Amino acid sequence: MKTLFAVSTEPRLKLRQKLLLLNWPFLLLVVSIALVGAAALYSVAGGALDPWASRHVFRFCVGLALLFAVAFSDIRWWLRSAYPLYIVALLLMVLVPLIGIESGGARRWLGYGEFSFQPSEMMKVVLVLALARYYQWLPPERVWRPDALLPPLLMIGVPTLLALAQPDLGTAALFAVIGGGILFLAGVSWVYFIAAIVGVVVALPYAWEALHDYQRERVLTFIDPERDPLGAGYHILQSKIAIGSGGLSGKGYMQGTQAQLNFLPEKHTDFIFTMFAEEMGFVGALGLLALYLLVLMFITYMALLCRSVFARLMAVGMGLCLFAYVFINVAMVTGLVPVVGIPLPLVSYGGTSMLTMIVGLGFVLNAHVNRKVTFRPEETGALW
Amino acid sequence: MSKKALDYGAQKKPDYARRLSHRFSRRALLVGAGQAGLFGLLGWRLHQLQILDSSDYRLLSDENRMTMQLVAPSRGAIYDRFGTLIAEDKENLRVLVLPAFCESLPRTLDALSTVVPVSEATRDRVMRAARRQSGYYPVLVAEALTWRQFALLNVLAPQIPGMRTDRSAYRHYNHARAMAHVVGYVGMAGKAEVNEDPVMRLPGFRAGRTGVEKSFDQDLRGSPGSTKYEVDARGRVVRELGSRPSTKGRDVVLTIDHHLQTVALDRIKDQRVASIVVMDVVTGGILVMASTPTFNPNDIAFNPDLSQWKELAKNRDHPLHNRAVRGQYPPGSTFKVVTALAGLSAGVIDQEEQMRCPGIYAVGRARFRCWRSHGGGIDVHRALKESCDVYFYETAKRMGIDHLAKVARELGLGRTYDCGLAGQKPGLIPDKAWKRSSRFEAWYPGETVIAGIGQGFVLSTPLQLAVMTARVATGRAVLPKMVLSGKDEAEPWPLLNLDPAHLEIVRNGMIAVVNEKGGTAGRSKLKLPDVQMAGKTGTSQVISSSRRHLLPGWDGETHALFVAFAPAHAPRYAAACVVEHGGGGSRAAAPVVRDVMTELLQRDPAGRRPFVANNAVAAASSALAAVENTQ
Repeated sequence: MKTLFAVSTEPRLKLRQKLLLLNWPFLLLVVSIALVGAAALYSVAGGALDPWASRHVFRFCVGLALLFAVAFSDIRWWLRSAYPLYIVALLLMVLVPLIGIESGGARRWLGYGEFSFQPSEMMKVVLVLALARYYQWLPPERVWRPDALLPPLLMIGVPTLLALAQPDLGTAALFAVIGGGILFLAGVSWVYFIAAIVGVVVALPYAWEALHDYQRERVLTFIDPERDPLGAGYHILQSKIAIGSGGLSGKGYMQGTQAQLNFLPEKHTDFIFTMFAEEMGFVGALGLLALYLLVLMFITYMALLCRSVFARLMAVGMGLCLFAYVFINVAMVTGLVPVVGIPLPLVSYGGTSMLTMIVGLGFVLNAHVNRKVTFRPEETGALW
Repeated sequence: MSKKALDYGAQKKPDYARRLSHRFSRRALLVGAGQAGLFGLLGWRLHQLQILDSSDYRLLSDENRMTMQLVAPSRGAIYDRFGTLIAEDKENLRVLVLPAFCESLPRTLDALSTVVPVSEATRDRVMRAARRQSGYYPVLVAEALTWRQFALLNVLAPQIPGMRTDRSAYRHYNHARAMAHVVGYVGMAGKAEVNEDPVMRLPGFRAGRTGVEKSFDQDLRGSPGSTKYEVDARGRVVRELGSRPSTKGRDVVLTIDHHLQTVALDRIKDQRVASIVVMDVVTGGILVMASTPTFNPNDIAFNPDLSQWKELAKNRDHPLHNRAVRGQYPPGSTFKVVTALAGLSAGVIDQEEQMRCPGIYAVGRARFRCWRSHGGGIDVHRALKESCDVYFYETAKRMGIDHLAKVARELGLGRTYDCGLAGQKPGLIPDKAWKRSSRFEAWYPGETVIAGIGQGFVLSTPLQLAVMTARVATGRAVLPKMVLSGKDEAEPWPLLNLDPAHLEIVRNGMIAVVNEKGGTAGRSKLKLPDVQMAGKTGTSQVISSSRRHLLPGWDGETHALFVAFAPAHAPRYAAACVVEHGGGGSRAAAPVVRDVMTELLQRDPAGRRPFVANNAVAAASSALAAVENTQ
């Protein structure tokens, strides 16, 4: 325990230095994406700030304050508390099936009344921290060894299974993508990944058995939406019609017929991209994707600048999280993957997912601010 | 190479950290490239949907568009107690446009102007609304169309894309001027209300602004229905997909008797500012609440004329204000009823005690005048009958302000009532605690003395005075009611915490005021056989007589007040009348009450069966058939 709280020999950065080290163009990109979200929500509400756009902006501002708080906090503190935070998140996830609030056939929420939150959201961030912490600790020569792979696999596996049990296919997929990505970047051998892919293919028929009926239905209607155009395939079909009818330049801001006429379900949350693509067309949709891609490229660039393993993996892990969100959401609304209920980060209306993403981006900036920081072996401490 | 690095022995085995770092860089770039590649996949997919197959999807999108229209409920009617229709929804034929379905909005408006006049201002408003909000919200172009115009537009409908006609409702008020203050009026919904209830977005939807229209708005409003249509790209209805009818708002039956209300208003309308309240002392139902100057709500509720509205709002006599609940006046001598009861209950006076009135009363160095030198032998009965100030100065001084305030509140003064009358003022019943907390000053004995005759800080509204009178008349804690529940009479009001014998003494004093020789309202004795009225006059100063010259003319005149109940020995009705700056209570206010009371007693509304609204059969409303089927 002594080494865990050892005072670092590294000089600590002053806030003024941190402000200079912050990646401001990156922040500008993030703000512009959120503003696109506000504009889209304004349009969804039929040209009104209420009920979504104004609260979206408000939440984003609260989120920005959090982002700064995270970005300017001491990276060593996060290194030390990565495991405890992970344990807390895991315990909360275990609590969900016991005392959680049920809504829409799934228990995902903890809390009371207005103040509810999804522990799985917290887990997305904390999982990255815990894995980064593990590889910061793991002596480089042991990364190759199979026994060193066991703890991180457990760290990823337990929350993934808990998410599957909720059941929340989207979040489970997200955990798997983030976890697998971090293992890959940490330097785990190719062999394991190839083995895992083979394993998944073999296990697929069994997984199919384990899926809930509604999940199976989603996969089936995904493969052939016309199977049930007024039932389960309705969302995908309507979404494709809306996006497709937008054409090159779109129907014009606030003029989208499909979204405005209430064809789309969840048009202010999961299907906001559909509405955006309908109104702003191919040009607008590509523009928004380009903004996201720029943010992702920035994250990779910032990760490459980092000296410590913890900072690198932290940054790149959050990047993976953002990527998974955006890709799954857009692929979902364009009919490339089944509908899994994943919002578009910073654009969709919704408090928890916005908070997760923006805190995640705060960690990216934290890594960037502390890019020159290295940890001495005793600072990393034991596995615990 | 530093010595330290050598100590770590980094050279002996391969530099794993370095290799790992390089591997991270390689793989990070690979992952980055992978992300870009997968985004490329999304781009390809969008290209496929939006460029290659766009025309197919556009066709699909044009083929089936659904539109949902809210169907506004029609507003509940308002009746008086005997079923006279006071406020009702009348049919309003309108023409609207849905900008999204217009090929060109100006051309649609041009086409419309061949049938209905479309002014330059209207054109501006429609164009602005179309830019500001989504094109799927209908914008009102013209309303109150004639049947000829309406029919013509419907015939032309196929040639005018984006046009809609509908049959909405507007609010019409009967007996408008007499009922204006009680019933209130409706107006366009404010911004906050629009957010709270989507039905408010319907063009021309109106919500209660004042009076019963406001306080019973939730009841009257009803709940909207909706109709789902499938429309084609030009906005023409292909078929109706289903609908949910709207529910008409509940009808409200007032306790007011509009005939008496009209009589009362006629009686006071020659005064510049006056109001009168009459209530049933058994049920608390308000039978008359008239206030002058008044206004016509029909001018405000529908197509308000701006100049007319400004004139009403700016008028120095505030015709929009309901004086009966918003006018706060020093109650003057009508308050002596309270002082007498308080004195008796405190035990500082009794029925026998007699005082002398030399016309002046001294407290310390201050001198308080009586309106007349009454001489000796003034007991409580004579003090009330002749309204002797000195007697009540002394009574108030003996008991102190806090006891006086307590009894005043027991009699219902100094508060508002939850009876469905918006905009009530609370008046003021001062006590020591009030003065300390609001003026940061101690209470002076002289202030108690003038409070004893209802001057100084004391303020009350005509409605409060009527409630006070009703409570004195019955000895029960009567509260006013504005709306009949439709159920049979509820249980009687709880008894007041006052001695019935004391109440009897005060009531006899009030009977003497009107019916005995020398009573201040002797000239206002009822000219009806075997029925008497009891009352108390009041003349309250708005400025002390020594400073009267500072406020010359009407503004400096005294207020004339009169409270009464009848029949004197079996009270059923209580009344309060205030004529602002009307002079003496016995001259200006008492005759008004006498005339209204005469009409009232002959008509006896309390003895007749009230009207019951048929709210059970709330028929499905067809007030707003959202989209006319043009097929």
